[in-house]
Amino acid sequence: MTNWLNENILWLIPAAPLLACLWIVLVGQVIGRKYAHRPLVLGLAVSLAASLYLLTVVVPHGFGHDEHESSHSVMTTVYQWIKIGTIDVPVTLRADAMSALMLTMVTSVSLLVAIFASSYMKGDPGYPRFFAAMSLFVFSMCMLVLAGNFLLLFVFWEAVGLCSYLLIGFWFHKPSAAAAAKKAFVVNRIGDFGLILGIFLIWQTFGTLDFAALFESPKLIDGILAGQPDILHWICILLFIGAVGKSAQFPLQVWLPDAMEGPTPVSALIHAATMVTAGVYLVARCTPFFVHAPYVQMTVAGIGAATALIAAITALTQYDLKRVLAYSTVSQLGYMFMSLGAAGGGEGLALHAVTFAMFHMFTHAFFKAVLFLSAGSVMHAMGDVIDMRRFSGLRKALPITHWTFLAGALALAGVPLLSGFWSKDEILAVLAAASREGEHAGFYGIILAIALLTSLMTAFYTFRAYFMTFWGEEKFPEEAGHHPHDAPPAMAVPLAILAVAALGIGLMTGPTHLYGHYLHHTPGLPHADEFPIDWLMMGISSILAAVGIGTAYQLYVVSPKIVENLQRRLSLAYQASQNGLYIDWFGYKFIAAPLRGLAAICEFVDRWVIDALVDCVGFIPGLFGSIIRPIQNGMVQNYAAVMMLGLVVCLISVLRVLVETH
Amino acid sequence: MDFEALFKQFLSGDVAQQASILRSLTIFLPELVLSCSIVLMLVARLVSLDRIIPTHWFALLGGMASFVIVLFQFWEFGNSQTVPVEVFTGLAIHDEFSIFFRGFLTFFLVFVIALTVLTGIPDDEDAPDFYSLLCGAVIGMMLMSSANHLLMLFIGIEMASVPSYAMTGFLKGKRRSSEAALKFVVYGAGAAGVMLFGISLLTGILGTAQFSELAPRFQAVFASHAGMQDPATRCVALALLMIAVGFAFKLSLVPFHFWCPDAFHGAPAEVGGFLSVGSKAAAFALLVRLTTSLAGDGSGALSQLSLSCGLGLGLIAIVTTTFGNLAAYSQQNIKRMLAYSTIAHAGYMLMAVSALLVLQSVQTDLVFQGNHQENGPRAMEGLLYYLCVYLFMNLGAFAIVALIRNQTYSEEIDDYKGLAQQVPVLAICMAICMFSLVGIPPLGGFYGKAFIFASVYEATNVHWFMWVVLAAGGLNTVISLFYYLRVAKTMCMDTRPADAVPVSMAASSSPALYVMLVSGMVVFLGIIIDPLSKVALHAAHALF
Repeated sequence: MTNWLNENILWLIPAAPLLACLWIVLVGQVIGRKYAHRPLVLGLAVSLAASLYLLTVVVPHGFGHDEHESSHSVMTTVYQWIKIGTIDVPVTLRADAMSALMLTMVTSVSLLVAIFASSYMKGDPGYPRFFAAMSLFVFSMCMLVLAGNFLLLFVFWEAVGLCSYLLIGFWFHKPSAAAAAKKAFVVNRIGDFGLILGIFLIWQTFGTLDFAALFESPKLIDGILAGQPDILHWICILLFIGAVGKSAQFPLQVWLPDAMEGPTPVSALIHAATMVTAGVYLVARCTPFFVHAPYVQMTVAGIGAATALIAAITALTQYDLKRVLAYSTVSQLGYMFMSLGAAGGGEGLALHAVTFAMFHMFTHAFFKAVLFLSAGSVMHAMGDVIDMRRFSGLRKALPITHWTFLAGALALAGVPLLSGFWSKDEILAVLAAASREGEHAGFYGIILAIALLTSLMTAFYTFRAYFMTFWGEEKFPEEAGHHPHDAPPAMAVPLAILAVAALGIGLMTGPTHLYGHYLHHTPGLPHADEFPIDWLMMGISSILAAVGIGTAYQLYVVSPKIVENLQRRLSLAYQASQNGLYIDWFGYKFIAAPLRGLAAICEFVDRWVIDALVDCVGFIPGLFGSIIRPIQNGMVQNYAAVMMLGLVVCLISVLRVLVETH
Repeated sequence: MDFEALFKQFLSGDVAQQASILRSLTIFLPELVLSCSIVLMLVARLVSLDRIIPTHWFALLGGMASFVIVLFQFWEFGNSQTVPVEVFTGLAIHDEFSIFFRGFLTFFLVFVIALTVLTGIPDDEDAPDFYSLLCGAVIGMMLMSSANHLLMLFIGIEMASVPSYAMTGFLKGKRRSSEAALKFVVYGAGAAGVMLFGISLLTGILGTAQFSELAPRFQAVFASHAGMQDPATRCVALALLMIAVGFAFKLSLVPFHFWCPDAFHGAPAEVGGFLSVGSKAAAFALLVRLTTSLAGDGSGALSQLSLSCGLGLGLIAIVTTTFGNLAAYSQQNIKRMLAYSTIAHAGYMLMAVSALLVLQSVQTDLVFQGNHQENGPRAMEGLLYYLCVYLFMNLGAFAIVALIRNQTYSEEIDDYKGLAQQVPVLAICMAICMFSLVGIPPLGGFYGKAFIFASVYEATNVHWFMWVVLAAGGLNTVISLFYYLRVAKTMCMDTRPADAVPVSMAASSSPALYVMLVSGMVVFLGIIIDPLSKVALHAAHALF
């Protein structure tokens, strides 16, 4: 039994949601449309159990730091896809400590979100379609994480993009949703273009796309570096462009806030907890490459910082609850990239930088999921109104939602001992370490300053949203009816579990270094010493969180008048923040408009030059036809004559060839 | 030899590598089952049993039974250390290659019978005639694919051809059908005559008709005479050319293709589908078998022989593909268009044979790559894969034509306008078949083409002319886009005229399911490539 499990565990994880998807598409559409969520919940439960089991398989001898040597990856070739000549594309699944942790996160959050959605989406005409797309998403995400080579990774990188498109545009009859889906797809394409170029370059350079071959043998990379010292910079920058698109980093972050047009469970699962972190995963996975490209790592940190700052500034003044959370997601993803970039600060930091980024991704998945789902619960109760100006004081009407939202908000703000605190603090600490030593200390100093500022703003905007929604006088929009109802059990239970996770999962894995020690088992990660606890950063971040929350309380509960005054006084800055620093506007004006011009030129060329050429080519067969038509005239004598002629021509040519030889 | 000795040989008398007659008969079982079902069908009509049990059940069960037997033989080959044997005192051969084709043909037969049941093309009165012709033709094709003797070659071809003539003219009331059949007969008779002449020349000079003996005898003839200038050698070349004419007729290669558009136009679409796949597959099996045994081990004079055969076939392939594609472009009748498309596809497949011969010609002379020994089987793998995909995509196209004809009584492309609005299933499946015929990924047709072009590319190492073949193949793929996509466009993008005959078909009706199954296989073979390509490679290895 154990042997069987060890061998088959890898394909079991993605297969369960895939089967669920097939079942819903083929059967669930017709029979039991109301129960379309059941196969998915069942499949995800299997996947989660398998993922938890996988955690013990990839690191067989306990979690301790000492058994570093025993770390290894598990691989299965599921299927030999194409084999023509030297081109060989196997479908290989590969799992190591990093992917096992990520899978656990993906499947557990998905399971809870699926249960939540079974109640949230009730009564929607596209109920089975929603769950089919969601199962397809979880399948693709699992395959993305389990991919054993870059090609497979790319395939499922695209597949999760497709699912994201399908789910953002789930209510496709709404023009804004359709437009948002399209925008997300197109913006992602830019990043994907970078990624595929990067993959081409890896193939060109290394001659293989296999993770095991690329990452587990430093000799290969050293050999390449000896010949082409710059090539890894190019590869890394291209891979990073892919990550920028998928993880909504500056300047491609524009798609994520719009993606909130999709159903809220989708926002929670895909656009907060899982898919958007694929970029972080990609960069973390390619650490063996990135450590040889310090300038790219600085770019990663710089882009991360810029994104975190811009998104946090934008989040300060949004009125749409989901948009606040969306900007916050972008901002937190920026944090993760800052952390990944900190690896450029010194030799010993790479491992810690990756660990802390992955850890923040892990905790973020839980507390952001609970925030989004609570927002969904608010939306559910308020009759799909999400504008925070139209409701307030909900803490009495929606007690469960209130408490779970508060748990998520506290974790996100970085209140001591909660999960966000541990992971954010470690990122700050590794940035501080990078700013203390090395040749780029000044650069990382700036990044650290931005990170601290962002941390303050995070606490502020999170609690601004919280106070605006749950405090103040009780006010409901008309759409909500007279008695808004709190989350039903199927929504409340996942909310409660996630809230507990948001509070405690950091405490469980942070100070004990459980997560870090486990992740160190990933083959290919550089070795490093124990990272000391940075009490200074811990203190500063606690103070910042307290200041942020306090300011929000002062401004939005105690004396709301100040806000109005501030808005009037700083109307320019306020407008800029409200409009996301005009980045969208800038993009439309200076990128989309010239492109539209180019498209017009292309259309002209296509219509009048290429089409004309094609028409000319198309004319040839017609001409040809008119030549042969007299021959193929239905007269059998004619046919015989041509056949004879053909035979004679063949005979003559054969004879001629024979005469010429010798 | 007295009776007892004869009987002993009948039971057990194995000559080296030859099966006894009894064993031959067991190997011949699939063909025997088909023959029995023919007899049963005819007897059933005699005793009016066909009023109770429809005739197609006999044919269907017979086809399935023989397919199962072939599968069993295949399994037997895979499992035990069975070696290829010559059966019936060397007239035929039993190896993986022939099993592959016999399986292919019986599988195809089952699909064709299912199609005719769904479209109802032979009515109850004619069913015994039709199905016995169909089964008879398939037996002939199976003989072609396992022929090991020039005599068997001729008999196989004729046995496959004669029922085809009759089936072409099966719509007796229609003038066009009868005319097409007559042309087919006249043309076929001419080609058979030339071929028979070639066969007797070859047999006369080489003194054997056994395939395995051809290569050594040729080398002996070549060595004992003064090379290519000698009349004997020339006669061999001419004989081969004349035999090639017979093949060219069966494969509808230019300039021996004239029968093809007329026959397809006149024949019912079901018969068109059958002829375009079945006889082509069998003829390719036979051609490959004959040419590889002629090429032998590729040493000495054989090298030159197989190189020039290969290049000649390459040239014919270019002409055929180009001609077929250009001529298909201006067709208004879809069956005629598909006929030209069949011609073009024969050209693509011939490229694989050409590449194979060119690659074989250097088997021992030059070794420039580590995996060189694999090149020949690879080319064959391409051809076999292509044939399998071709089975589905072409049959799918013809099936849809037949189903639409049953409702609109029209086979003009213009009458297909906007069918997607009325029967989306047929329109989508047709589009899949058309895209696959062009060779667009991720459909099966793409991989078939990719395999073939890959081996042509390998062959460019041997002779520069293969570059021309490769370029022609690529260019033709582009040309073919125009006319295939025109059908898809007409069906899916135009609007249905108000006065057009309405077509209706529920997505869960059996014809729709049949069409979905066939075109689903086209998609399947484009995604799951490995199993079939492995089987094809395995079958191809039997030849080398």
